[in-house]
Amino acid sequence: MAPAKCSFVTTHRSAPKRSLRVFAVGVSLALVVAACGRDDEEGADDAPGASADTSDDGAADTSGDDTSAGAAEGSIDVWAMGTEGEKLGVLADGFMAEFPDIKVNVTAVPWDAAHDRIVNSIAGGEVPDVSMIGTTWMGEFATLGGLEPTPEGIDSSQFFEGSWETTEVGGVSYGVPWYVETRLIYYRTDLAEQGGFNQAPANWDEFTQLVQAQVDAGAEFGVSLQPGGVGAWQTFMPFFWQAGGEMLDESGAFTLDSEACVEALTFYDSFFEEGLTPPAVSDVPVEGSFTNGDVGSFISGPWMIGVVTDAGADPATWTVAHQPTEEAGTSFIGGSNLAVFEQADNKAAGWAFIEYLSRPEVQVEWYETVSDLPAVRSAWDDPALADDALLAAFGEQLEDAKSAPAIPTWEEIAAVIDDQIEGVTVGNTTPEDGCTTMQQEAESIGTGL
Amino acid sequence: MTTTTVMPPADTVDSAKASASGRVSRGSKHPVLLHVALLAGLILMVGPFVWMIISSFKTTGELRQLPPTFIPEEPTLTNYRDLFDRLDFPRYFFNSTVVALCVTAGNLLFCSMVGYALAKLEFAGKRVLLVLVLATLMVPGTVTFMPQFVLISNMGLANTHAALILPTVVGALGVFLMRQFISGIPDELLDAARIDGAGEYRIFFKIILPLCGAPLATLAILTFLGSWNAFLWPLVVASTEDMYTLPVALSLFAIGQQETNVALQMAGAVVVVLPVVVLFLAMQRYVIQGIATTGIK
Amino acid sequence: MTAAVTAENLSESIKEEVEAPPRRSRPTRKQNLVGWSFALPFVGLFVVFMAGPILVSLITSFTDLRSTDIRSPFGVNFVGFDNYGDVFSDPKFRKAAVNTAIFVFVGVPLTMSLGLLAAVGLNQGIVKFRSVFRLGFYLPAITSIVAIAVVWRLLLGADTGLINGLLDVVGIDGPGWLNDTQFALPSLIVMAAWKNLGFSMIVFLAGLQSIPVDLYEAAAVDGAKRWQPFRYITLPLLRPTILFVAVITSIGYLQFFEEPFVMTQGGPLDSTLSVSYHAYNQFSFGNYGYTAAVSYVLFVAIAVFTFIQFRLLRPKT
Repeated sequence: MAPAKCSFVTTHRSAPKRSLRVFAVGVSLALVVAACGRDDEEGADDAPGASADTSDDGAADTSGDDTSAGAAEGSIDVWAMGTEGEKLGVLADGFMAEFPDIKVNVTAVPWDAAHDRIVNSIAGGEVPDVSMIGTTWMGEFATLGGLEPTPEGIDSSQFFEGSWETTEVGGVSYGVPWYVETRLIYYRTDLAEQGGFNQAPANWDEFTQLVQAQVDAGAEFGVSLQPGGVGAWQTFMPFFWQAGGEMLDESGAFTLDSEACVEALTFYDSFFEEGLTPPAVSDVPVEGSFTNGDVGSFISGPWMIGVVTDAGADPATWTVAHQPTEEAGTSFIGGSNLAVFEQADNKAAGWAFIEYLSRPEVQVEWYETVSDLPAVRSAWDDPALADDALLAAFGEQLEDAKSAPAIPTWEEIAAVIDDQIEGVTVGNTTPEDGCTTMQQEAESIGTGL
Repeated sequence: MTTTTVMPPADTVDSAKASASGRVSRGSKHPVLLHVALLAGLILMVGPFVWMIISSFKTTGELRQLPPTFIPEEPTLTNYRDLFDRLDFPRYFFNSTVVALCVTAGNLLFCSMVGYALAKLEFAGKRVLLVLVLATLMVPGTVTFMPQFVLISNMGLANTHAALILPTVVGALGVFLMRQFISGIPDELLDAARIDGAGEYRIFFKIILPLCGAPLATLAILTFLGSWNAFLWPLVVASTEDMYTLPVALSLFAIGQQETNVALQMAGAVVVVLPVVVLFLAMQRYVIQGIATTGIK
Repeated sequence: MTAAVTAENLSESIKEEVEAPPRRSRPTRKQNLVGWSFALPFVGLFVVFMAGPILVSLITSFTDLRSTDIRSPFGVNFVGFDNYGDVFSDPKFRKAAVNTAIFVFVGVPLTMSLGLLAAVGLNQGIVKFRSVFRLGFYLPAITSIVAIAVVWRLLLGADTGLINGLLDVVGIDGPGWLNDTQFALPSLIVMAAWKNLGFSMIVFLAGLQSIPVDLYEAAAVDGAKRWQPFRYITLPLLRPTILFVAVITSIGYLQFFEEPFVMTQGGPLDSTLSVSYHAYNQFSFGNYGYTAAVSYVLFVAIAVFTFIQFRLLRPKT
């Protein structure tokens, strides 16, 4: 709210020559209305496909030049979020040592602000050269016309398939995957042992058994699942995929309202119904409850390995497990991509930096700096990753992981899904109604493509 | 929400003027009960602030203990150190200060100018202007922030101090305050000056402004506070950390990734709140004096 | 500057300006120039940054502008009242509207009563340390809502918050406050009342000050008992002050945003979603046309509500 708003108003208006003014305003409005309106041409210009074909010289040049250091020089602004933002300087230093003609300026942007910041920067024309971009945002930014298509010279097969798909919007790739993450089940092996079920759950029934075993062994809650709120879909969707569900069909229409959805939502809700999971997010962070045995298991990504260890958990008492398998054993793949902005000042140098970050050895170095898992497959051969049992489990899951469709309206669709999940777990919505509503609202929002 | 308007308490309760003005004094039957009630109220009002300050010297772990502790078991300055070293709070503090000062200066000058014009000068469109300005007081921030944002971006000012300052550098409240007060200045003073050949600008700077100490002080505090505490607009318009103001920084660190470090959040809250309290304590006396010397208009 | 004077002054000055008989002579050219030269800096900035955006927002509410159009804003379609139709048929908006209404209809009287209570308490002649009390009661009102929200969120923590901790000491199992659909909005209302009662208190104090003592003395002579002087003297004379406080507080409360944003993100189950927050969410989804429409609906609600309050609480002369 703007400062110092006080108020009173009267309903009187007495302006001399009022009718003249009204007339003038009316005429101007009419002219404005006549001038406005979407043209098909403008629409075509904004479509991602069109910009790839008629893209400006920047893209055409970089595909040839992006590997030669000589072509790229000057300085680039790079944005990154969270811990990555704080630590990217390490890699930037390595890059600048090899490419002394290029200066890299890293700005750290907090996650919450990041989405709006990028949207606003594209709108305002004040873009950085390179930015880390959350996988679920690619669709939106690409359709805004904000991102530059990936040059031909970059090979897509070096990355995990699921992660490459997160860079594709309407069939065109914008940027490259940087690091990935996927979600596994973290569980207390000692409690599971005590409760009589200590093994990786092969299917949904076994997962329930594992959770129940934790409770039987004395945990207050066998599992900690997100009941709703921002991002709950990431914990829920794997079950949807495991039941064989798909978010979009081949024609690009939503298929949320399916048997798979109802089954998955019922299964998810069963933990809430049975009191096996806390009904609300606790103010005590999960690593604390996991370590002291209040919560027997949870589903999360690789960063929690370090967090749980730091919380003091004895490594012998816990491990991670592959997602349960019904029709599939799919997990959620997330991570971030790197992209160059269409309005950037120095695209050549930007792509050079991105290529540097995609080198397997640099990916490993990045893993060693912030524990982000490499998106480049060959990096996983490095002993730093191959020799770690927990990480190897993540590597295995990455082969069967999906993400949200890269559509511009994804944030809004995600909010719809989150809402319905909350309605079912916390409120009185039935899974059937939840899925129906998801489908209806998703259809009315559309994919934006 | 946030009614950021703040009326000065200064003049109202002054024991020197006790019996002369119409202060009610009755119910002196239960002074003890009254004071106890007031004290209880005071504890409730000030309690959370005390808690906030105490908590800022604890560690997050201790804050999560049950039953809750009062005095920190291991008082620590880590939170403050984190704010100033790891996070960029000095920068945010600087941003908040610069913006608040500029907005205040702008309001003081421009609102008093137009307030003078509306109070003492005749010109075409005067009535319309006043009504329109006052009407905008009811307009919610959500109406204007989106077009303001597009405008600022197209002016090439996105993510600058100018962006934080310009949309609020003039405000309707200032116009109202100054106009009200200046209306009360006797016309004879001004006429005498005009007869002596003084131009309107001289009259404004030499006669009007000096007399306006009280409302200017009031307006200064209100505007500064409002600007310091502003949230929605700085949230929308600052895209990089170096442009955050204190409330924005606090909110983003409180509901984002750092959500688990609650002691740090308390320290952040202290930094946001303390300067305002100090300023107000200081200015409160000034406003009282201002009123006393110029008399109640 | 007492509040009673302010409230009356404001309505009177507006009425004066607007209902004044036509002036006998038009201002001269020179007078216009001088007058406008004083007004120009203000007016220039005002038109560009306030009046302009208000108008643009209105126009946008009739288009289907999205964030994807931001680089070609004139290439959008006019869709008439479609956005408004969407707004009123949107269950989220309806929920937000109900929440906002509850917040205002419960919050405003609560805040004002507490403020009046405090003012009456402080106005007693025998109060010692009056300025300390006054400052203490007033403190929350001048602090940043974000800082307050962060502190209260900690206090209201379901498992480790101070409030539940204290309740625990006396054996009560406190509810989840911000996690509970029944308690979340009431918690926010109480917090808002706590924060803003200081403002009401200050204004009421000024109003109480301006009531002449002789009225009460006369009433005492006439044998008026306990609450009668309050009901028959104080309250009626406080009408302009009550109107002022009611209008200011309502306008603020109708726009409440920071509390749910920082404390609950609109949840649980949208039980703390406010109209402003809903507009902000739509803005971040890029639905600019819809955002503008919601904002205008809110604006109209504020205008209507203010008008009604003026009618109801208008000082009787």
